[in-house]
Amino acid sequence: MRNRSLVAVLASSALLAWLAAPADAQKVVKIGDLGSKVGVFEGYGKYQTMAIQLAVDELNAKGGVLGHKIEIISEDDETKPAPAVRKAEKLILQDDVKLLIGAVSSGATMAVMDVSKKHKTIHWNSVSCAEFMRTTKFHKYYFSNQPDSRMQANGLAKYMVEKMGKRVYIFYTDYAMGQSDGRQFKTALEKLGGEVVGVAGAPLDTKDFSPWFGAINQSNPDVLFVAFAGTDSLRLMTQLHSFGMTKKYKLAGIDCFLLQQDLPAIAEPMEGFVQLAHYSPFNPDKNMQAFNAKFKQKFGTDANIMAGAYDAVLFWAAAAEKVKSFDSDKIAEAQEGMCLENTHIGRQCIRKEDHQVVMDMHLYQVKGGKNLPIATLAGKDTIGEPMVGRDPVEGFTWEIKKK
Amino acid sequence: MAVVFAALAALPLTPWMSKYYMLLAFDALLFGAVAMSLDLLMGYTGLVSFGHAAFFGLGAYSTAVLLERGVLSIWLCLGLAIVVVTAYALMVSYFATSRRGIYFALLTLIFAEVVYTFFRYTQTFGGSDGIQGLPSFQLLPGLAVDTPVRIYYLVLAYLLLAYVACRVLVGSHFGQVLVAIRENEDRVRFLGYNVQRYKMGVCLISAVLTGLAGALYPGRAAYATPDLLHWSISGEFIIMVMIGGLGTLAGPILGGAFFILLQEKVSSYVQWYSIVVGLVLVLIVLFIPRGLLGFRHAFRRRAGQQAH
Amino acid sequence: MEYVVGVLLPQLLHGVVFGAALGLLALGLTVIFGLLGVMNFAHGELFMFGAYAGIAVIGVTQSFWVALIAAPLLVAAIGALTEVATLRPLYRREPLYGLIMTFGLALAFREGARQLFGGDMRRILPPIEGSIPLLGMTYPRYRLFLLAFSSLLLLAIWLFFTRTRAGIIVRAAVQDAEMLDGLGVNVPRVFTLTFAGSAALAALAGLLLAPVFTVYPQMGVEMILLAFIVVILGGMGSMGGSVIAAFVIGIAQSLLTLWMNPQRVAIAIFGIMIIVLIVRPRGFFGREGVLE
Repeated sequence: MRNRSLVAVLASSALLAWLAAPADAQKVVKIGDLGSKVGVFEGYGKYQTMAIQLAVDELNAKGGVLGHKIEIISEDDETKPAPAVRKAEKLILQDDVKLLIGAVSSGATMAVMDVSKKHKTIHWNSVSCAEFMRTTKFHKYYFSNQPDSRMQANGLAKYMVEKMGKRVYIFYTDYAMGQSDGRQFKTALEKLGGEVVGVAGAPLDTKDFSPWFGAINQSNPDVLFVAFAGTDSLRLMTQLHSFGMTKKYKLAGIDCFLLQQDLPAIAEPMEGFVQLAHYSPFNPDKNMQAFNAKFKQKFGTDANIMAGAYDAVLFWAAAAEKVKSFDSDKIAEAQEGMCLENTHIGRQCIRKEDHQVVMDMHLYQVKGGKNLPIATLAGKDTIGEPMVGRDPVEGFTWEIKKK
Repeated sequence: MAVVFAALAALPLTPWMSKYYMLLAFDALLFGAVAMSLDLLMGYTGLVSFGHAAFFGLGAYSTAVLLERGVLSIWLCLGLAIVVVTAYALMVSYFATSRRGIYFALLTLIFAEVVYTFFRYTQTFGGSDGIQGLPSFQLLPGLAVDTPVRIYYLVLAYLLLAYVACRVLVGSHFGQVLVAIRENEDRVRFLGYNVQRYKMGVCLISAVLTGLAGALYPGRAAYATPDLLHWSISGEFIIMVMIGGLGTLAGPILGGAFFILLQEKVSSYVQWYSIVVGLVLVLIVLFIPRGLLGFRHAFRRRAGQQAH
Repeated sequence: MEYVVGVLLPQLLHGVVFGAALGLLALGLTVIFGLLGVMNFAHGELFMFGAYAGIAVIGVTQSFWVALIAAPLLVAAIGALTEVATLRPLYRREPLYGLIMTFGLALAFREGARQLFGGDMRRILPPIEGSIPLLGMTYPRYRLFLLAFSSLLLLAIWLFFTRTRAGIIVRAAVQDAEMLDGLGVNVPRVFTLTFAGSAALAALAGLLLAPVFTVYPQMGVEMILLAFIVVILGGMGSMGGSVIAAFVIGIAQSLLTLWMNPQRVAIAIFGIMIIVLIVRPRGFFGREGVLE
């Protein structure tokens, strides 16, 4: 026993020694790409990496940032807060990244925000849409160019009530993101005169949604609003379709419901689906088309809403160049109020109060497996007032008001 | 063994001990301690618990709930953890030990699954995201355990205490009865011992030790999530014990530490990792020194010496 | 009345459909336990393999029906290999080892599948499209097919076990494995074949449910716990018991969703199981002494 333990200790020591290898001699700055690389949100994580890659390659071709070559370190957070925190710690403490982009799942992002706050690392997010990141959880190193649930509700609810139908059933995925969407949309819809006839939440990764269909049918809505993402969405739409419900009700949902890449596979169930988004490869806007062209050239596939991660790198790099330093406080200050012209949708400006990008967006409708724009929404109309430190859902209740 | 502890105590002073490695070392020692407490059950008494994650997770949530509400005293957290885990363990062990065979394994599994499901879907405890963003706990008002080095020493102290406790237990009459139960339960019963009470006793002790370890975890992670309660974690504990060696105390500690280190290093290549672990387990079960028989020999050998 | 027809009955139907497939899965599990004394933790992975084997076969032949035959056979082969290589040495030992060993196998299988097929979700299109109006709602035809097919299969298996010589021997052996030796039967071969057969059943369940649930490496993990519960409830080693329990659980799960938060349903199911285990460890039809 003693021998065995000695061997084990020696082996572990050797292992640890190997881990402490000397660093690179060349001037390199590292950025962290944290997201779901496997599982229900795998697509988003994958495209996040690609978008970051595109930005990094462009910058490196011009000499990098402040003479440093940018290196991306990608980690998988398994779509859960706990591994996300561990990986974020690893990226910040061990790899010494100067910029952290991630995560995908709102729950993971919020957990990582605690880490980025503690270690003062610039933290960008381009896809999580729970409403807490720019309100109660906000900190000075956090920046976002993803329309959160409040912005989406501001943009979409009016269209739903006016053009689609007043009776809405809200079906969401039961964790941070879905709950947030449920809350914001219920609030917005009711304020605009719509009637929320029912709400229900299904756990993340639910296999079979049919247990919830009975209640949906019973409440007889005009519109079925769905707040899901990734493979859950795929499964949900397939099952809804097999029960004839996609034809029975009008469909609306959140921006990250499905990536454009997944649409052709379920074009029929998704026909007529309305959502708000800041990007679509089928939007004739010249900025979006230009971005799509170069993305397609590099990766052989159309871009999607994960393109926001591209902008994140650009903003950070521009700020670093401006203050001639990688210091987080200086970069954070520089990014406030900063505007860039060459983002994936053209001009974007970061609002100072809550570090949220103000951007014009569109309402899209799925036709023939493609997201086609049907209306434009000005950034200032959707962004809502800054509520840093305030509870965005004060006074909210899930109660269904019976008419 | 004293040498090992001294070496561990000196670890933070070595040059390449970054914050990151300190946290890794914490994990290694903490889970090593859990594996050791599980071995009391598995190796010494012959009861395989497939629900040990529940004890760990309950401890973690106890701490988290207090920290969330601003109660920062570590002693209160540990205290609550002991209360909660004991209550749960009493219930589970009572039912699990009332019948034979794999009944114990199955019941501990199912009970743990209930706990997992409960925490996963109850919003008061954060639902599937758990409780996040916890502050550090304090030994005394003003003395917060908020650096990796401090939390490392904390877990080292815990490990030391746990180890001593286990040593005492194993060397005592109680410990010997446990081994006898493992070898031949009926005979022990005929000798007049209340077997169930002994089983419950060791289960409680193992549970509390694991629960205390769990209570320390949010000090390092600043969160408690339902994933800590999942049965795959219980499985990992079992694997740690099997790697380290059933029926010893230092073995599982090493097994746990090795498992954590391996996991962390190899998880950059996440792909292969689980396959390797699974196969290792299969091989261990197939070929390790004749399973239960094997370490009986080891035990006999050690009963003669007083070696560490 | 509208509630009964529009909501209750469809929910009941969901439960029965799921219960049928669950029955196939649980049946294999209980047979393995009764005969081999091993609680197969890797059963969920065999279920998962069935779905992936289906994807592979469909990829080559474009036919779900061919896959329905080929996939279970493929998985049965994997099962047989596994049994010979890893489980056979354990029969003399305590059942706890089987549990730990199969746990390790499950880990390896799960990750192996992820390596081979990728971690993202795959879809198998239902071979029967469309839905028919049923009980005031539109019900997918495929689910009805699933129910019919599983039921027929269960019936066929029942006939096998009660009407054929081989079946009767195996069934008796499930009750009392030692007796086999006395009959002069090639015991190792029977064990291997039985394991392979139960693997095939698991694979069938996996493939049949795949068009509904989609295919991903974790799909076995969620089913195994349920299968354990069904087996224990029905009585470990009792085949009829596990089938009946499967339907009971399937229906209970489905109906409870109507009145409870779906997340709580899981807890309720576990609760039922715990109570049964405490009060009557042998389950509905189990043999006395298995767990007592």
